[in-house]
Amino acid sequence: MIWGALVGGLAGTLVLTTLLRAASEFGLTRMDLPFLLGTAVTADRVRAKAIGYGLHFGFGLLFALAYYAIFLVIDRSGFLLGGFFGLVHALFAGSALVNILLPVVHPRMGTGFTAAGSAPLLEPSGFLLLNYGRQTPLATIIAHVAYGAIVGGFVSLAS
Amino acid sequence: MSHTRSYAPERVHGYAQIRDYAAIGDGRTIALVAPDGSIDWLCLPDLDSPSVLGALIDAERGGRFLLEPEVPYEASRRYLPDTNVLETTFATSAGHVRLTDAMTLPTGALSPYRELVRRVEGLAGMVPLRWRIEPRFGYGAAKTRFERRAGIPVALSGRDALALCSWEAGEPEYGEQAITGRFKIGEGGSSLLVLSAAHQEPLVLPSREDAEVRLQETARSWREWAPAREYSGPWREAVIRSVLALKLLVFAPSGAIAAAATTSLPEEIGGERNWDYRFSWPRDAAFTLQALLALGCAPEARAFFSWILHASQLTHPRLQVLYRLDGRAEANEEALSLAGYRGSRPVRVGNGAADQTQLDVYGELLEAASRFASATGGLDRDHGRRLAELADFVCESWEQPDAGIWERRSEPAHFIQSKMMCAVALGRACELAERQLLPAKHGERWRREQERIREFVETRGYSERKRAYVQSAGEEELDASLLLAVLAGYDQPRAPRLLDTVDAVRRELARGPLIHRYLGEDGLPGEDGAFVACSFWLVEAYARQGRLEEAAALMDELVPLANEVGLFAEEIDPATGDFLGNIPQGLSHLALINAAVSIEESRA
Repeated sequence: MIWGALVGGLAGTLVLTTLLRAASEFGLTRMDLPFLLGTAVTADRVRAKAIGYGLHFGFGLLFALAYYAIFLVIDRSGFLLGGFFGLVHALFAGSALVNILLPVVHPRMGTGFTAAGSAPLLEPSGFLLLNYGRQTPLATIIAHVAYGAIVGGFVSLAS
Repeated sequence: MSHTRSYAPERVHGYAQIRDYAAIGDGRTIALVAPDGSIDWLCLPDLDSPSVLGALIDAERGGRFLLEPEVPYEASRRYLPDTNVLETTFATSAGHVRLTDAMTLPTGALSPYRELVRRVEGLAGMVPLRWRIEPRFGYGAAKTRFERRAGIPVALSGRDALALCSWEAGEPEYGEQAITGRFKIGEGGSSLLVLSAAHQEPLVLPSREDAEVRLQETARSWREWAPAREYSGPWREAVIRSVLALKLLVFAPSGAIAAAATTSLPEEIGGERNWDYRFSWPRDAAFTLQALLALGCAPEARAFFSWILHASQLTHPRLQVLYRLDGRAEANEEALSLAGYRGSRPVRVGNGAADQTQLDVYGELLEAASRFASATGGLDRDHGRRLAELADFVCESWEQPDAGIWERRSEPAHFIQSKMMCAVALGRACELAERQLLPAKHGERWRREQERIREFVETRGYSERKRAYVQSAGEEELDASLLLAVLAGYDQPRAPRLLDTVDAVRRELARGPLIHRYLGEDGLPGEDGAFVACSFWLVEAYARQGRLEEAAALMDELVPLANEVGLFAEEIDPATGDFLGNIPQGLSHLALINAAVSIEESRA
């Protein structure tokens, strides 16, 4: 069953990344999660993207394991429940994870209280990632619900 | 290049003269800067993206980034030597200030997606300055929001965003759809304004220190590149400025070279001859390869040649007239609802010429392949096979009428220059096959068709009355493109008919040192100016014919016609000296370089 979560995490992250990239191409958002993650590690843009994609897929697997743990505890799984987890995940990401926690650990991201200082700063995401475009919350929620549904579906299939 | 002259910049109904513009760029996009400190053209993120600053084509609604003294002033400008970093000095009664403008190149630090840096230094006295940025995304049609991020004013529109970071440049204020500021600067003082652009990603808000370092590194990078260019003749300053302008037009992500930085700057003020030149023309391949290889720009030459063969794969064996800078073939033409430069409408984006048939392109490409093979020692097998298929296509197509090199929108005709270049294409294919760089199985056919083309040109394309080759079969009109017969090697340079044609072009199409493309009807209302490239082609034709005194004398007359910072547009009005058409124009600068190099080669 844990393999179901891992495979689901991989497939879900793939779909999530594709949906967010498509939203970016259609001009709905400037959200770029691999770029945000990668620039926490390096200032080199090319390396940042490569590292960022690696980190993004790594986090995708970790979140899938977290979903799996909850499925075990409540003894239920499925794509609908997974989709609900994805919704909560998206709201958490937009309100706390990327908005509050990421700037704390990200050496190059500003907060609402930072002025341009000596270090280069990345534009902060704002509540629900709204700084990256008004449609960003919608795109993020849809992508994460898809991710959660895929993880939930794979866990359910594996069990 | 030293500061050339100092003058009070003027505008007509909000528009600067085309010849007033200097270009700065970073290999992805280009900004045009007027002498009054106004950046009137900037497309983001790339050269062929919609404009964000577009006052060039609509002074009211296009958007600009103005930075100028608040008191009357005179301006003088130059590029920092061997760079594309622009320096404008404002002289006022209150003192002097220097403005340095550059699009920076990325460094090791986290760099903005695109970055425009404007540094102000106080030289004397205490000068009050004002700045105002009016971002207008999507050619002025997209909705823009103004907000703040980390205290920094930003402008947002869909997937694009701009941040205006400033230091010692006054408190930014929001005006009506603009961000503005005022400040005073004294002797020894320094202020910095940085426009950071993002596309499909969060904004990078740079520190002052990093932006200053990038500005220095950008100048250093240009200074290292330019002096390595291999030309030491009498027009070195103009040649180096030209190759620097060309380097700006090289779209670094793909290796394509844009024909010009702008769209719809008119060939006739108030007229409709307004075209989008932010595409790459395979036709320019031979000129480009010749210039780049002559000046020791082998990496750029290799990248451009590879790009052409890559871009043309989708339409193979037909060569499209132009391709997008990313290699895509679509170039749908549409008119924008903008006022146009001094009322010159329509303002077009995209280029309908992409769908035309222009047979001369094949000759230019095979000529380029021949030059490339000679310079690099060969062609790879796949390229050779595809070039052979192009030669086969020429055999099948040369008898068709076409739109000709000038992309005329009237009925297709049998343009003689097109036929000549078809003959050149097959000649080069034969030569490459003899060197075993092309498959030789159709060599006999290529030679046979080449002879048929030459017979057509010699019997139907030469006027005994004019004593010159003519524009199209059976007609009597002259065309400056026939100079290319000398340049491309249609025949021996001193062949009697080519000598006569060169003389006839000078006699009938010249207005002073400048040459018109042609003088007859072309299917469009209005007239255009003299074509800068044709004027330098005449220099090169003289040089190749061994007429070095005439070549050098004409060169000496043409080079000073550049604007104060050494740039050329597509055309010049011979009566007024005003620039017409898009700027900076790659073909004009290519022709200048090749003319200068040819004179030196002929002297050698």
